[in-house]
Amino acid sequence: MFGLTTPVLVILIAIILILVLVTRPSVTATKGGKILAFVVLLVFPVLAGGLGVTEHLSKSKTTNFCLSCHVMEDYGQSLRIADKAFIPAVHYQNNLVPRDNACFTCHTDYTMYGDMSAKLRGLKHVYVQYFGKPAQPIKLYTPYNNRECLHCHLGSRSFEEGATHTADPKTLPMIKANQLSCSSSDCHNMIHNVKGLKEATFWKEVTQ
Amino acid sequence: MNGGKITAVERRLRLSGILVIAGLCVEMASLRWSHPTAFLFFILLGGALLAAGILLYLLTLVAASEA
Repeated sequence: MFGLTTPVLVILIAIILILVLVTRPSVTATKGGKILAFVVLLVFPVLAGGLGVTEHLSKSKTTNFCLSCHVMEDYGQSLRIADKAFIPAVHYQNNLVPRDNACFTCHTDYTMYGDMSAKLRGLKHVYVQYFGKPAQPIKLYTPYNNRECLHCHLGSRSFEEGATHTADPKTLPMIKANQLSCSSSDCHNMIHNVKGLKEATFWKEVTQ
Repeated sequence: MNGGKITAVERRLRLSGILVIAGLCVEMASLRWSHPTAFLFFILLGGALLAAGILLYLLTLVAASEA
């Protein structure tokens, strides 16, 4: 169904009022008509634009948005691998990250949420989606930053007091300083691993 | 009313309205679509049409006040 979100409602009201102006432009000869023109040709479009940008930004953080490109389908599937060794899968399946925003929770500086070069890469991705051929397998442009893990794990008991983390007093400071990677130090290195999808078994979500 | 005829100012306001409606329609359609391309449509096409309509409206106001 056609969901009437706030931006859509504002747009519909604006269109109806502008149609009055377009079909009867002579109304602008009156003071009320001038106010109407000001509101519908300036205030409403700016309001609709602002609300629309907010909604688009909100949507762009959703898992569905990230998986809407063909190249990301395998990565979406990897979230359902029934193997506790797979870090993204175990986070997704156990609600350790919100399922609706799973990708963005662990990739907070991706494309439009990153710096200018990340934003430009986002535009390149759209171009490649339609006119090019994505690299196989796709790779992160920069090594995975521990910051993405620490914004949840920092301060948690299992992280701060974990036997492996505390065995060497240098380990925790190095992890926190992003000098020792969580994901590529032979510790938590089972990430999406899409190459092994064919052999994997998948978790079937129970719908309530 | 000028016997059904519209003035130059009214013609510009009408064109401005049509541009804004076109921009709003593009924005509304893009809001129904959850894909990176939708955001580009929203910003580049919808935003350009809205900006053109608003600019034409403001120029019409300036021209009308100078006349």
